[in-house]
Amino acid sequence: MNLAWDDALWAAAALCVDPTGLRGVWLRAPHGPVRDEWLTLLSSLHPALRRLPGHADSERLLGGLDLGATLHAGRAVYQPGVLTQPTPTLLLLPMAERLPDDTAAILGQVLDMGQVNAGRHQAAQDTFIGLVALDESLEDEPPMAGGLQERLGIWLDLRHMGRAGGEDEHTRWLLDSLPSMDLPALREHALNMPLDDVVLRAVCQTADALGVHSLRAALATVRLARLLAALRGSDQVQDEDWGRAARLVLTPRATRVPAPDDQQAAPPEPEHPNESPPEEPPADDALEQTPPDPLPNPPASELQEMAEVLLEAALASLPADVLAQLAQANTPAPSGRGQGRSGTRKPSFLRGTPMPPRPGNPRQGARLHILATLNAAVPRQKLRRLPSHSRAKLAIRTEDFHVHRYAEHSPTCLIFAIDASGSAALHRLAEAKGAVELLLTQSYARRDQVCVIGFRGTQAEVLLPPTKSLVRAKRSLSGLPGGGGTPLARAIEQSLQVALAEKRLGHTPSLVMLSDGRPNVSLQGQGGRAQALEDALTLARAWRSHHLSAIWLDTSARPEPQAQQLALAMGARYVPLPMANSNRMAQAVQAVQSGRTPAAPVAVTRPLWQSPPPAGAAPVWRQPGGA
Amino acid sequence: MAIPFPFSAIVGQDDMKLAIQIVAVDPKVGGVLALGDRGTGKSTAVRALADLLPPIQVVKGCAYGCDPQSALAACPDCSRWKSGSKVATESKPVPVIDLPLGATEDRVVGALDLEQALSQGVKAFSPGLLAQANRGFLYIDEVNLLEDHLVDLLIDVAASGENVVEREGLSIRHPARFVLVGSGNPEEGELRPQLLDRFGLSVEVRTPQDLDQRVLVIKRRDAFERDPQAFRESYAADNELLRKHILKARKGLEKVQTSDDLLRTCAQLCQKLGTDGLRAELTLMRASRAYAAILGKKSVTTEHLRHIAPLALRHRLRRNPLDDTGSGARVQRALEEVLGA
Repeated sequence: MNLAWDDALWAAAALCVDPTGLRGVWLRAPHGPVRDEWLTLLSSLHPALRRLPGHADSERLLGGLDLGATLHAGRAVYQPGVLTQPTPTLLLLPMAERLPDDTAAILGQVLDMGQVNAGRHQAAQDTFIGLVALDESLEDEPPMAGGLQERLGIWLDLRHMGRAGGEDEHTRWLLDSLPSMDLPALREHALNMPLDDVVLRAVCQTADALGVHSLRAALATVRLARLLAALRGSDQVQDEDWGRAARLVLTPRATRVPAPDDQQAAPPEPEHPNESPPEEPPADDALEQTPPDPLPNPPASELQEMAEVLLEAALASLPADVLAQLAQANTPAPSGRGQGRSGTRKPSFLRGTPMPPRPGNPRQGARLHILATLNAAVPRQKLRRLPSHSRAKLAIRTEDFHVHRYAEHSPTCLIFAIDASGSAALHRLAEAKGAVELLLTQSYARRDQVCVIGFRGTQAEVLLPPTKSLVRAKRSLSGLPGGGGTPLARAIEQSLQVALAEKRLGHTPSLVMLSDGRPNVSLQGQGGRAQALEDALTLARAWRSHHLSAIWLDTSARPEPQAQQLALAMGARYVPLPMANSNRMAQAVQAVQSGRTPAAPVAVTRPLWQSPPPAGAAPVWRQPGGA
Repeated sequence: MAIPFPFSAIVGQDDMKLAIQIVAVDPKVGGVLALGDRGTGKSTAVRALADLLPPIQVVKGCAYGCDPQSALAACPDCSRWKSGSKVATESKPVPVIDLPLGATEDRVVGALDLEQALSQGVKAFSPGLLAQANRGFLYIDEVNLLEDHLVDLLIDVAASGENVVEREGLSIRHPARFVLVGSGNPEEGELRPQLLDRFGLSVEVRTPQDLDQRVLVIKRRDAFERDPQAFRESYAADNELLRKHILKARKGLEKVQTSDDLLRTCAQLCQKLGTDGLRAELTLMRASRAYAAILGKKSVTTEHLRHIAPLALRHRLRRNPLDDTGSGARVQRALEEVLGA
């Protein structure tokens, strides 16, 4: 039996019964036969399934003035949005990963409130929807907006499923008989199923053990388990239902692996079980008149058993490699959403991807959006009586003007922090310089800005403020002498200052740190390795708190644990370059920027940086195999 | 209409509940900013806010909810009343207005009333969300994702208490005094310092760590979802009690004494933390006073101050890249230094 597929089918059935209560499903799968089959099945079970328009604006979603009908009728005609559904309906949201944040926020709000609030002319309307969010994002792409993920009850991942099929006989029977069932009655039946505290505690405990802190997840588990039990035709939620619900709701959200073996399901019972009803802190006592609901403490053994069953079920669906990944969950994700070359987006009047037009005057480079302008003018025609001698058909006033808006990718600024201390210089300052020159050429081709910071002795100084000038960058590099201590803390501090200044200008800073990660000069300029490391770590954490991206190229002869530790603290990608030459370094940075894993070293006999390729020419290192 | 979750049924979240009660007692404290992970019940608490507030008296038929006691002619609707004449009033629940993220500028400030324009050819102003929120609360979920031009607008109106509309051939000004309530997840985006400053108190919301509390949350939420109406009714008495308590605290607020020594302590604390401007001191003092009133005390003590300082100051600290400790801890440290351990 294909357990994951079986679960997916049960999820579809539960969604049809109660789209509103479950809020929907976050379906991660590429476009392909597996997803198609699941969707076909869902639409056959739930004929009301509706597709949301791909790039729906808020007017289409929430409803608004229907311009055509308004003009025709001579009075305001409003059309309801797609989100207003009087009966429980599943809405299909394609390309959910591309959904703009504000649209995701609107969807989240509607799901939360269960009502659509379209505007001042329309009263808020109750709506009953669940979302089927199709997310096709790849591993290294940002998935659907987090706020929306969180609200959807079920998380399905069909990415690694080779083929559909292989469900249980019972499941087949269920799917065949579902269309003839009375779904509202089934939902009612599910909601009224009794729940005892033991089970609720076990659910909370399992969620906790898996590191799922959101209470929405626990609520969705409870809801789903009861629906599954009702679908089975049972009056009682049984282990089978809990297990499946946990696999569909809790497991995909897991952020950590529960402690192994004996401690695994041991409930984190309070020391004195009889004191556990929640006590309101004294500050609130006067106001909080509600006595806490009495929670009889269940026998510990029963609870433990239940929690074990749940946890086991939850873990059953986790592939081994996921467990391994979760075990290392402390590794921070690469910081910064727009990592690397793409930069973050900022609005612009001139270029970029189009955004909805906004009222404004066509000046300072902004271009008039004719359609939006006409749209704005048309409803006001009755107000503006044209003088009789006028031959114009439309009265357009300045306040109707709408201008084009675009979202522009902000330029990236690469900050190179180069360790020129004795230890590093000894190894290969020359190589580092070469690599930077290679990267500079490449950045120049991409129109990135670059900034060079050198550190040695007790100081870190900006050798080259952010610039696009390649010549200046090269000159500043060649003048970089080596020798002295390693004031790493200073270097990070300096980089942080530059990075934040760049960020304020709307650029996307990105740091390339070339160092062996052996600080021996503290922030105060004093010697001493312990203090120096401490300071460097503190600043590294500060860097990370600003969500800036960074890559650490370890230039020491063999991978240096301290450098790793610092890179981790910074949230930087750590790339050891034990056998490096300039070319390899450049490759590593490029790979990280474009989101790939660094390629294997390429044997290059001639140091390429001695004769950098002309700007604009295809750099040699783009094709690791071809060099 | 969707039925909000009753305030008195919210489990845990003491900071959040306290902050909301404080602004309910004294709206002059300024708004509340709730920061925290998803699924911790921030929005639930804010949307239940209306439970705490006794109804207000407004000028009858006024779209801006003007106070009959205040100067008339403040808004276009009230200017038709002649001075000295008796004004008809009505009682209305305090507005708690939800500002959706995708709201257009039109919707927020108000715009030409299209319906009247189209059908009767009349140029009339249709008030926006700011007008609706006058004398009440404006709630922005995911405030850190709000578009820049809306943020600018809100900062301006929140400071001046007046919405000035000069667009589409309309020229209108009306009072827009509201308490800003925002919630968001700080990991998704930062707030502009100017907007942060408009919030009087900030709270960090976390999921209850205690298992029993979590179970209780789920039980109550489940009961609520099964039958919202019945659930609300079962908490109606508690809500009523809470509302009475708030009313009492409001009455007591004027009588709460603040000694000069305490004011000096406030100032010292803010100086120590290097907060910009005097707003921090003012908010700290007002919030402590409201807290004392809620506890039924006649004067503010350093204990009250100690309790309130993190809420009032946490979000006003300058970011220091060298200091990794949370701003809450920094406030605690300053408290210990100024007040003694």
